[in-house]
Amino acid sequence: MTDRHRIGILFSTSGPYGIVGRAMRNGAVLAVEEVNAGNLGITLEPEVFDPEGEIAGYAAGAERFLRAGIRHVVGCYTSSSRKDIIPIFEKIDGMLWYPSHYEGFETSENVIYTGASPNQHIVPLVQYLLARGDRTAFCVGSNYIWAWENNRILRETLALSGGRVAAERYFAVGETEFGQVIEAIVALRPDFVFNTLIGVSAYRFFQELRRACRGHGLDQVRELPVASCSLAEPELEAIGPDAVDGHISSSVYFSSIDTPRNRAFTDAYAVRFPDGPTPSADTEAAYIAVHLLARALARAGVGEIAAVRRAASEVAFESPQGMVRLDETTLHAALTPRIGLSTLGARFTILAEAPAPVAPDPYLVRSAPRIVPVLRRPSLRVVPS
Amino acid sequence: MTGPRLIQNFSGMQAHLIVAPTTASDALVATLMKLGLTVASYLPAGEACPVDWAALEIDRALMIVDGDLPLPGIAASTVSDLPPVPVLGLVGVEAPSRLKGLLQFGATGLLRKPIHGASVYAALYLTINEHQRRRALEEQLARHEERRRGRRHVVKAILRVMQERSLDDEAAFETLRRDSMRARLTLEHYCEALVRARPDVPAPARRIALPE
Repeated sequence: MTDRHRIGILFSTSGPYGIVGRAMRNGAVLAVEEVNAGNLGITLEPEVFDPEGEIAGYAAGAERFLRAGIRHVVGCYTSSSRKDIIPIFEKIDGMLWYPSHYEGFETSENVIYTGASPNQHIVPLVQYLLARGDRTAFCVGSNYIWAWENNRILRETLALSGGRVAAERYFAVGETEFGQVIEAIVALRPDFVFNTLIGVSAYRFFQELRRACRGHGLDQVRELPVASCSLAEPELEAIGPDAVDGHISSSVYFSSIDTPRNRAFTDAYAVRFPDGPTPSADTEAAYIAVHLLARALARAGVGEIAAVRRAASEVAFESPQGMVRLDETTLHAALTPRIGLSTLGARFTILAEAPAPVAPDPYLVRSAPRIVPVLRRPSLRVVPS
Repeated sequence: MTGPRLIQNFSGMQAHLIVAPTTASDALVATLMKLGLTVASYLPAGEACPVDWAALEIDRALMIVDGDLPLPGIAASTVSDLPPVPVLGLVGVEAPSRLKGLLQFGATGLLRKPIHGASVYAALYLTINEHQRRRALEEQLARHEERRRGRRHVVKAILRVMQERSLDDEAAFETLRRDSMRARLTLEHYCEALVRARPDVPAPARRIALPE
């Protein structure tokens, strides 16, 4: 006899970011099947809702789940969808298990965060680049919170280290015309390009930058490297073989992590979902969310969220990326930052890895200066004639 | 001139709460601690409690007062009624008298009760940075006020130099400005020192002829 718990799965598996949504749903479904076949003594009964990428769809799905008595929902990818439905979870007292990397500056008693917060993605990336000796950045991003906030952290960290952001350019989500900005990048020759473009904009940017560099006789990988903290395997496949290799990405998970635990995960995923999409950091975060939820339910013995919240910070899960625990205060996960370099096979070679999981710091209380650092422009500049 | 630097990370700050201990304040304390602040004093409800401003660490302290309680006495700073540390007001009863009380106490930010954790960071950001900005403006105002008071010495000094060296007012002003820079004093302080050193020199007796 096992305890049965209904849970909601709320990912947009269709619509503009349907590929990511499918990769996340697959991670959650795989975890549900493993839990049900395992020996935790509980059975999860998932109900799936697809908001189709519409904000209103998320609210409809959340309301439907919670009104039907479901207390725990694994879901959301974009911050706008999460922000929109948190009040519903707070009002009806449900728990949202949010499995995606995001820009931080949020905590809620009704949300458990299993994706990376800024001190686990952008901060390690900047430290890695500074250690390489890179000092000047050219920022190119999609015009919304993810890019603004990552660029702010980059700008301030560089300012403290004597580096600087040479230029920042923002584009509407979905923009694919990058000719002018690429000419500016090639002319300015920064140490690296910092990319916070998403979706089709990112794929096109990588392709065009590589093409433009070839035209100028430049080795893009060596002379104008691109660093990102949202670049994952499914996106490498979308960039295509011509421009896929040599890009730096900061993430807590790459499918190429060479451990028996991760191989077991990627093998099981490939068998269960032979048509893909390729598992990414967000797939793994959804997988972790369901496994942690199952362990917390088993420990609490009830679905009531205060008990599950308490239990959630007392359990641990040996995940594909390593041991994962929740921080009791912020309900964010301790995760292991890594830096990867993309390969021609649309995977990542891991260049650097934190020796142990890094505690979450969603408000950058321990990772940011107290006062906003100011970029100091030199008062005299050498102007080439 | 640039404004004061923005503060965005409040870790290490001390929040002094003058708030009735309720479930609402539990949410506030929990969020303050998540943001890295220490909650240094937690004063019970009741009588208006006196605030010992002098005991507060000016750059690290933050006062959070409940507008529904009797407000403590105001210790005005030199120029206006800006308190020495930032004050965040909690609003329960939205009555004009309570809001006026918070405003007079120098609150630069408000937080509506019941307190929702997700609104605390934004309220701190506004309260602390707006307080910094007002403090910088006050200091600037005080400097201007001091210079304004010194202008009469400048006028006297210009007249004296015109008379002693047979210069016109422009040339006299230039001389004084140059000499004050050499002495590493403000023009006002330099002129004041000059006039005070020899207060007995008579003012020019000539009448200044106005153009017809």
